[in-house]
Amino acid sequence: MHLLEVQNLTKRFGGLVAVNSVSFHVDEGEVVGIIGPNGAGKTTLFNLITGYLKPDSGRVLLRGEDITGLPPYKIANKGLVRTFQIVRPFKHLPTIANVLVALQSYRGKRRIEWIKTPERKAMEMLEDVGLSDMAMEPAENLSHGDLKRLEIARAMALEPEIILLDEPFGGLNPIETEYMVKSLQRIHLDGHTMVIVEHKLHALMRLVKRVLVMHNGEIIAKGTPEEIAKNKKVIEVYLGKAI
Amino acid sequence: MTVIKYIRRVSADLATHIYDVPPRMLASLILILMAATPFIGILELRRLDILTHINLVAILAVSWDLLVGRTGQISLGHALFYGIGAYTTAILYQYFAWPVWITVPISAIAGFCIAILIGIPCLRFKGPYLALITMAFPLAIVGFLYYYRDIFGGETGIPRPLPGLPRIFDKLLPSQRIIANYYFSLALLTISSVIIYKIATSKTGIVFVSILDDELGSKACGINTSKYKLLSFAISGLFGSLAGAVMAHTIQTNANPRYFFEKTALIPTEYSIVPIIAAILGGLGTIYGPIIGVYIYYLLNNYIFEYLIPVDKPIKIAIFVSIIIILIIKWPRGIARTIVEKLEDLEEPREVEEILKERMRKNKPEV
Amino acid sequence: MLEVIIIEGLIIGLILALVALGFTLVYGISGIINLAHGAYFVIGAYIYEIIRQYLSNIIPLEYYYLTPISSILITCAITSFIGSLFYRITCHHILGDEVAILIVSICSCIVFQQLIYISLGKLNAFSFRIEPIFPGKIKLINIELFAGQTIAALVSFAAFAVLSILILKTKTGKAMRALSQDVEAAMLMGISVERLYTITAAISSGLASLGGIFYTASITFGVGSYMWLTALALSFTVVILGGLGSIKGSLLGGLILGLTQIATMKIIPGSGVLQDSIPFIVIIVILLVRPKGLFGKRVEIE
Repeated sequence: MHLLEVQNLTKRFGGLVAVNSVSFHVDEGEVVGIIGPNGAGKTTLFNLITGYLKPDSGRVLLRGEDITGLPPYKIANKGLVRTFQIVRPFKHLPTIANVLVALQSYRGKRRIEWIKTPERKAMEMLEDVGLSDMAMEPAENLSHGDLKRLEIARAMALEPEIILLDEPFGGLNPIETEYMVKSLQRIHLDGHTMVIVEHKLHALMRLVKRVLVMHNGEIIAKGTPEEIAKNKKVIEVYLGKAI
Repeated sequence: MTVIKYIRRVSADLATHIYDVPPRMLASLILILMAATPFIGILELRRLDILTHINLVAILAVSWDLLVGRTGQISLGHALFYGIGAYTTAILYQYFAWPVWITVPISAIAGFCIAILIGIPCLRFKGPYLALITMAFPLAIVGFLYYYRDIFGGETGIPRPLPGLPRIFDKLLPSQRIIANYYFSLALLTISSVIIYKIATSKTGIVFVSILDDELGSKACGINTSKYKLLSFAISGLFGSLAGAVMAHTIQTNANPRYFFEKTALIPTEYSIVPIIAAILGGLGTIYGPIIGVYIYYLLNNYIFEYLIPVDKPIKIAIFVSIIIILIIKWPRGIARTIVEKLEDLEEPREVEEILKERMRKNKPEV
Repeated sequence: MLEVIIIEGLIIGLILALVALGFTLVYGISGIINLAHGAYFVIGAYIYEIIRQYLSNIIPLEYYYLTPISSILITCAITSFIGSLFYRITCHHILGDEVAILIVSICSCIVFQQLIYISLGKLNAFSFRIEPIFPGKIKLINIELFAGQTIAALVSFAAFAVLSILILKTKTGKAMRALSQDVEAAMLMGISVERLYTITAAISSGLASLGGIFYTASITFGVGSYMWLTALALSFTVVILGGLGSIKGSLLGGLILGLTQIATMKIIPGSGVLQDSIPFIVIIVILLVRPKGLFGKRVEIE
């Protein structure tokens, strides 16, 4: 059984078909990348999977359980966690409180081993992403790169079965990008499953073994990074026909 | 180990570290109020009545602020809970002759329950729609109260004040009763604001703030935001009704500057507006802010305009409200909070709105 | 009976739609919930009647129809000015802060209410009689209608049409639509946000006063300084029905509310007492059924 299975997911906005009968699956321990030009429907796909949008048709299965159309918080509590493209911290709260919110969820409360307090667990999450010295800093004072790391910490606090990352490298400078790659690699080594949408291909390719390419709401190619790089259709879609 | 101890000690204040100043403010505020009590004897008794009223409206304001300043659910109809509290206790006393120390808690519980009932359909509203809907509620209910005038007493309402609470107050002379009411209101304010403070700084309070900041993000963290919104509504309603019930038992009449005629006086819209003004003047989202704001509002209203500048009522109201407008424009973050933040040397972070405002003022397209 | 309800409902509905139009416009373009809308409604009614009385003494009888027309125009001009002035003094400085704007605008209603009391006296503040715009009745498919209401309804509809054309065709209107969609992008395009918000404030307060004139001069035949609350209640209901920020929605919402009010009045006897509460009750019923209204936030027309 696949950890995550998406079957024929479709979403229409008026006349525009944003996601057109998309199907794929992710197995435990995999890191899958989703790439494609802007407007291909990647974020919409994430929104559909994580419950922020209701699909017009299709199903989403988590470990065989149908989670299609459930409210986002329920999906998160079942272990399917996502991060956002545009960072959204809780700006009135200190950094550590941002993580504590996640630990107040149903899943957060069940998952904390009884020897740990939420604060300790939150600190561990922050340490994992290197934000522990910013713990009491108001989240609105954090830099963009720090906020991206905070997103990761918040997601990891839920001890997810699978994480959907929406452009985790967006807006990061080379040093931050490198740090993020290492963080995500470590998360992968710990056994977590990830699906990553990303534009920065050089960073992405270091993490994923399998890539899906989306264009106009459809998956137009699947394969390993090498295969994708050579795929004519993919090149066309990114660079235009004249090549 | 010390890190964890430090965090655990501070975590009770986590939500307050930025959003509210540590309890020092609230504590000192209450201490100031209590310290003023020896001087109470100097005041005229009528003035004491006003102070009692202020304390009880302060409870209304703090409960409102929890909902709006902390959880982000804009409510323009908080007077509803005043009405629920006042009418519940009045009816229970009038028609069932239940003792006061039972009717008041029941009124508070009624507020809790009705808040949840009303909150459920309100969950799907955001921002402006929520504001409009909440404004409509008390006004709609007033129509029913007026219609069923047999039960609810029509224009004049059920005669007030009802028997004092505790019952023992009735045994006192009227002059003593007013003093006792004042202390009672102060005690109630203290207890209520401390409880609300505890809630606001607990983990639940942190979740409230997360809903205020980014509801979608909160959902992504697995939070059932509907549950928490209802909880915030309910707590707000509980204390609001409590204040309303006690007001029915202690305040001479409803009468405070009546801006409105006829029916709406049954549930004075004033009690929807004053908490908002108070919270803004004092500092939205803080606990001490609304309390200070209520004091500013009523002291400005009563003392200054009656002693210093004796003018006709409508002129007084016009000037007074204009002053309120000016104060709000000058200090949108709240007078008290601005002062506190300056003292704490917290730098005001530039929010997107401020950047936008500045750009608008300069009127230059910037890339 | 049914035709009476429908026709009267539509007529009343058009007037109600006009009352709400300025409110929805200001929200759609500048994102402000302008509770002062109610104040302009009341001011419009009072100023109109005062000017009308003054003019009726000046204008010779043959041109009697000029009196209401010119009074309306002058009143709208004055109110537009007051509205834009008030906007510049107050809301302009606190644009980001929703709650502050709410309070400041509601305070302005109170201030204006007191000013009316001060300048016109207690009696007039409580109840100020307004002459019907056009006296008498007309017959439409053998249904008797008040002439004033019918004409008011037609003018309201015309106002909707004119506004829609303005929004669609003129440069200013396009700028307004741009603002309603994305303020920052509009600024990048060189649109002067300041100027446009002020223009919006002027237009919406002018519309509010027009709605106030029509409502008080053809439906209630009187106004009170407290009626800003009534105006707000009506506007809220219309806007919740039709969607905040949508001109089309305002029209539809107004019609629905008008029909509901007339139907309730005719079908349920003795509901006069509940009359003022009906809009609120309608709001609450709507909220249980279809919360977002019929249309969305953007200033849309056709």
